Amino acid sequence: MKKIVIIYCLLVVLSGCNDQLDLKPQVAITEDVALSTDSNVKKALLGAYDALSNGNVLGGNLQMFSELLAGSGEVFWTGTFNQPREIFSKSIAVTNTFVAATWTNSYNAINVSNNVLSAIDVVNDDDQNRVKGEALFIRGTTYFELSKLFGKPYSAGNATTNLSVPIILVPTREITSELLVPRNTVAEVYQRAIDDLTEAESLLPTDNDVFANKTAAAAMLSRIYLQMENYTGARDAANRAINYGENTLTDNYDDAFNNSSNSTEDVFAFQVTDQDGANNMFLYWSTSDYGARDGDVEILDAHLDLYEAGDERLDLFFESNAAMRCGKWREQFKNLPVIRLAEMYLTRAEANFRLSTTVGDTPDDDVNEIRSRAGLSDASPYSLNDILNERRLELAFEGQRIHDIKRLKLSVGSFAFDANELVFPIPQRERNVNSNLTQNPGYGN
Amino acid sequence: MKRFLLISFSVLLGVAVSFGQAREISGKVTSADDGSPLPGVNVVVKGTTTGAVSDSDGNYKLNVPQSGAVLVFSFIGFTNKEIEVGSQSIIDVQLESDVTQLSEVVVVGYGSQLKQDLTGNIVQIKGDEIRGVPVPNLTQALQGRAAGVFVESQSGRVGEGIKVRIRGTASLSANSEPLYVVDGIPINASTITNGQTGTAANTGSALSSINFNDIESFDILKDASASAIYGARASNGVVLITTKKGKAGKTTFNLNMQYGTSSPTKKSRGWLNSKEYVELFTEGAERAAIYEYNRAGNPSGYGSEQEAKDDYQAFVESRFTRYSGFNNDWQTQKVNTNWQNLAYQNNPLTRIINLSASGGTEKTKFFVSGEYNDQEGILIANDFQRLSTRVNLEQEASSFFKFGVNLSFAKTITHRLTQDNDFGTPLQIVALAPITPVRDVDGLLNDRPVTTYYNPLINGENGQYESTIYRNLGGVYGVLTLAKNLTFRTDLGFDLLTQNDDQFFGSRTQSASTNGFGQSDWLRTFNFNTNNYFSYSKTFGSHFIDAIVGMSFQKAVTDQTNVTGIEFPTDDLKKLVSAGVINGGFSNATQYSFLSYFGRANYKFNDKYLLSLSGRIDGSSRFGENTRYGFFPAASAGWILTNEGFLNDNKILSFLKLRASYGVIGNAEIGDFNQLGLWQAGVYSAQSTLNPTQLANTKLGWEKTKQTDIGLDFGFWNNRITGEVDYYIKDTDNLLYFAPVPGTSGFNARLANIGAIQNKGFEIVLNSTNLDNGGLRWTTSFNFAYNQNKVTKLDGEQKEVLGNDGRFLNSLIVGQPIGVFYGPKFAGVDPANGDALYYKEDGETTTNDYNEAGNFVVGNPNPKFIYGLSNSVSFKGFDLTILFQGVSGNDITNGAGGFMSANANWFDNQTRDQLRRWQQPGDITDVPEVRLGYDNGMNASSRYVHDASYLRLKTVTLGYNLPNSLVNKIKLSSVRVYITGQNLLTITDYPGWDPEINADYRATNVNQGGDFYSAPQAKSMVFGLNIGF
Repeated sequence: MKKIVIIYCLLVVLSGCNDQLDLKPQVAITEDVALSTDSNVKKALLGAYDALSNGNVLGGNLQMFSELLAGSGEVFWTGTFNQPREIFSKSIAVTNTFVAATWTNSYNAINVSNNVLSAIDVVNDDDQNRVKGEALFIRGTTYFELSKLFGKPYSAGNATTNLSVPIILVPTREITSELLVPRNTVAEVYQRAIDDLTEAESLLPTDNDVFANKTAAAAMLSRIYLQMENYTGARDAANRAINYGENTLTDNYDDAFNNSSNSTEDVFAFQVTDQDGANNMFLYWSTSDYGARDGDVEILDAHLDLYEAGDERLDLFFESNAAMRCGKWREQFKNLPVIRLAEMYLTRAEANFRLSTTVGDTPDDDVNEIRSRAGLSDASPYSLNDILNERRLELAFEGQRIHDIKRLKLSVGSFAFDANELVFPIPQRERNVNSNLTQNPGYGN
Repeated sequence: MKRFLLISFSVLLGVAVSFGQAREISGKVTSADDGSPLPGVNVVVKGTTTGAVSDSDGNYKLNVPQSGAVLVFSFIGFTNKEIEVGSQSIIDVQLESDVTQLSEVVVVGYGSQLKQDLTGNIVQIKGDEIRGVPVPNLTQALQGRAAGVFVESQSGRVGEGIKVRIRGTASLSANSEPLYVVDGIPINASTITNGQTGTAANTGSALSSINFNDIESFDILKDASASAIYGARASNGVVLITTKKGKAGKTTFNLNMQYGTSSPTKKSRGWLNSKEYVELFTEGAERAAIYEYNRAGNPSGYGSEQEAKDDYQAFVESRFTRYSGFNNDWQTQKVNTNWQNLAYQNNPLTRIINLSASGGTEKTKFFVSGEYNDQEGILIANDFQRLSTRVNLEQEASSFFKFGVNLSFAKTITHRLTQDNDFGTPLQIVALAPITPVRDVDGLLNDRPVTTYYNPLINGENGQYESTIYRNLGGVYGVLTLAKNLTFRTDLGFDLLTQNDDQFFGSRTQSASTNGFGQSDWLRTFNFNTNNYFSYSKTFGSHFIDAIVGMSFQKAVTDQTNVTGIEFPTDDLKKLVSAGVINGGFSNATQYSFLSYFGRANYKFNDKYLLSLSGRIDGSSRFGENTRYGFFPAASAGWILTNEGFLNDNKILSFLKLRASYGVIGNAEIGDFNQLGLWQAGVYSAQSTLNPTQLANTKLGWEKTKQTDIGLDFGFWNNRITGEVDYYIKDTDNLLYFAPVPGTSGFNARLANIGAIQNKGFEIVLNSTNLDNGGLRWTTSFNFAYNQNKVTKLDGEQKEVLGNDGRFLNSLIVGQPIGVFYGPKFAGVDPANGDALYYKEDGETTTNDYNEAGNFVVGNPNPKFIYGLSNSVSFKGFDLTILFQGVSGNDITNGAGGFMSANANWFDNQTRDQLRRWQQPGDITDVPEVRLGYDNGMNASSRYVHDASYLRLKTVTLGYNLPNSLVNKIKLSSVRVYITGQNLLTITDYPGWDPEINADYRATNVNQGGDFYSAPQAKSMVFGLNIGF
């Protein structure tokens, strides 16, 4: 008896349960599974949109940074966060966490796109062009956005020597020294964005639900060419975007904003619901009455004074938390327009005017299209300044202003368009882990 | 053969005795404490081997030589007593219980051992020592009582996270809390906060659900020799918690009741009043205008300096008007609100009642208890309640089999607060302007735009955050005696924790726009553990061996669900069933397992030489397939010099032991599945997505700590003074670290085994009985620990990971302590223009450009040394215990300094020291010119780093035991009334509320010593009544 008991006890002690150590996660899948099927790669593509629409990327912060950098007496940052305030006052610390988050989250969008592109062969033949086109759209757009803020403006010249951001075209699978990449030049990054978006435009379908289509790619290209002062390219891309015929202007100006589903005018917009999606323009520009923060950005009279009487675009501004606010970003859980059709008319008008052409339509007609929708009468003929002024008002606080200032070689107060202060520093965080990244001028060593 | 030897020995002995013409002595040995008989006491004639052992009634009988004999009585847990026989024939003896602790029994992993035979470092704290300390969490009660055990409450919130570090922090990204083992079962210390599971360090602590009045002893295993039996989980030290067991005899009841109140250790930081506020910000507007026009590029394009001034003046006045409630009261300073006082609760109460019964027969022993503990926090809307019961039973079924059950059930309800960085956390109220009235004309709390920020008082009136935990902790065990010296024990234990966090924020809170917000989080962790092991112990002449060998298996499964909702019809309907829109939800699950084999052998020769070997093999699901198993050995040796001939009769030195240990232990607390490259689901446009979330690391393995400990245990004057000195070196490598990677990879960090940390230091423990006569007894106990922490390696190439995020500076620098503050060094104010200055890299020249500033080590959040000093005096029925506790050499960064002490950078109310700002050329001061909206010295730098050393009068207890004569008359066995004060006095140079803090939302191993509106500790005064019957 005793022997049996001892043997039993020994058995208990020696019994293994090795297989109990092979546990599998229940809320994640491994890398090899993630890109193994057609449907998984398409889900990863949606993941790339998710990444691009992150609040730190085009989900609001990039747009806000543009407006804060440009803010010359027209807006006022009054929020508690000192990181946007540094951007607003043009004295950005290299440790600014908002800037660092924009960098890392942008590259996340690039990495997810690269993952999708690396697995394009897994996608059903019928869908390969579309999926590839969308991934290229996301990657090209992200490079363009990064270059605009982390590099000197294209218009500053020396694009082949001025530094922009590193170009990464393969997905990251492991951490190796190959990740210690140096910065590419402004010209190289612009060319990358043009190549990606040109190929995207050729691959994408004309109609693609709320996702990137030919119009979106052409519209993004028109922005790039405009930054490069390549007016022919900008004109033709804007003209194509209009002629694909997918979009029409909304009847009223305010119909173009605060929508739960895309308006007819949305060339490309991020989808936001009460369950998902960031809209940081709402978060910082609206007020606590609407569920945002305390109204961190105030609109000043200097801006409101720019509008002529009867301009319906002025009606969109509203008073809340004791200051004027931009109504484009008033409501919670609404889509975030990234490109509206109106911009294409204005780009085409400006480019046609500069080139003395009438591709698509005359500049006067295009401007009138915009003005009449805003409730304003025909005041043609329009000068270049008239066209640019129309653009400034139509696209006010949508994230375009600093880039227009830079390409038009204007200034912000006494900061010239190519001033060091109007370019972001390379985040200290990045330079700590990658010694090959040089800092931008004006930000210490 | 053995038996033959024994018999021969006895016969020889008998001959020797009879040869000496002996006579018989008899008597009874009792305990001086309670007069109960002591069985098993050794009675020896001094200088001979003649002896006897007392029987179950304490009676003994033996023969002694005719003259000059001296009897030595010895028993574990009591002091030896020597009595000259003289002419007596009946000698009754009372033994005093031993205060020197050297002969105490300490609990070790899977067994117990005599303290004097220990070769490792274990500190034991008796449950009775911390009984009645009015705190909810047992670790708080241990603060200052054990050398080398650093305890830090992150703030004065009741029921929230507490950090414990044994011999320094030895990890980067892995959990650095010790392993807690209750009655042999490793328990779970994580709970959830805001849907996130976390460690005890940054969330509500699961240890709060344990009633520490049920605890017999805490045994803290500090060195490798003691802890290596817990292998891969031991490198942060192990806390063995043993609950009370019944004793055979009369059933005794004990009732303890406490009632008291608490307040903050320091109430005020000192804020501007209305007059000063208006003055400072008016000045700030004017100075900003001048600065902007002349020096900041005039981005608004003002035509003249005066235009800029006028614009700024109009702006600041419009703000004053707004903050006054849209009136001009600010001009007359009619309102002067002290917001800070409103964040504190009025007279928060502590009410504790605890009843236990203990007793049994020789075969059946029991301990049962119940407790109700209700503690209101010092901050509004923060309180803690615990209802707990325990049953411990043991039954001897036969001479070779006994079994038992230890079972506890606890329910805790904590009304929690949002984290320190949330606008709703009570002490963020100090940011509000003193010119703002608390309520509007309708009596409603003012909110934005009248208040500068969200008014946190609204959370108190219109929100709630209730966390309920149900916890079952316990198990059954059986012990089989297989042979005289061989037993086999099986433990089947479980720890079931169910937590529900219910949050509701109503229509007047920050969730106003969605007509309220509700969140429900459920967490269930089931942690199963079994231990199966053989124990063997035997004496062979002067050799003593004791050994164990066995296995253990643990599996923990955590399930979690979360639902959030908005659009509630009214604030009275708080549950999510009433939400108009369910706008979020998820369920989540994770699990881990450990399979382990362990063994240990202790050997003692001649009561002088001690040797111990142990080893454990651990396998875990948390690691890569190729690195899944680890082996953790330890060896130690001891030499009791006082048992050697040359010290045997030393009159002064009564005990001296040298010991040394070395071992390898591990840390596996890194969360689950970190070795895999993973993709997780997300949402975009109401469709599911897949996103890469984690890079693979198939080589992921344990952190390994090699620890060496050399110690000396000593006792003087018959152990009237005892003590220990230890020196240790703890080298940890293969550190698990979420190392930052280039963001261009698409990732921020990846967990890898990189880096190494060294902790070395020494510990001193002294216990002394200063006076013990005539009923007056005064004892002192002192502990001191010095620890030097150093990061010795990062990934080999990288020398630093800079952590400056604009508010805090915690960084990793090779050659420096973990989490050291590394960043710009504030060089004061330029007397010429009021600019904040920083030192450049050369350490001499200065710059007003933060980006040009050099980086320096400007502070260290790790204490250099920690200490505790306890004095107890008892006289007649009175007893007084005073515990001081201190921490020295550590610094705190006030991360909120850029808001509250930022020379009026924005409209936050400022600390009073900002009044000494620079005003005109030539002013020498450390507060820069006030420039509303312009950063002038507000980014993280040494400006906001302060010495956080402190000395605290931790616990004072004054008690009085009613005389037995009186107590017996009312049929009770004891009555004690007492008063306990906690944190009554704090001596520190830290200018904030309290130096014992760490902002909860960011707390990690690296992110220490951060203040961000973190609440001060509670100072409490509690009356107690203890009745035994």
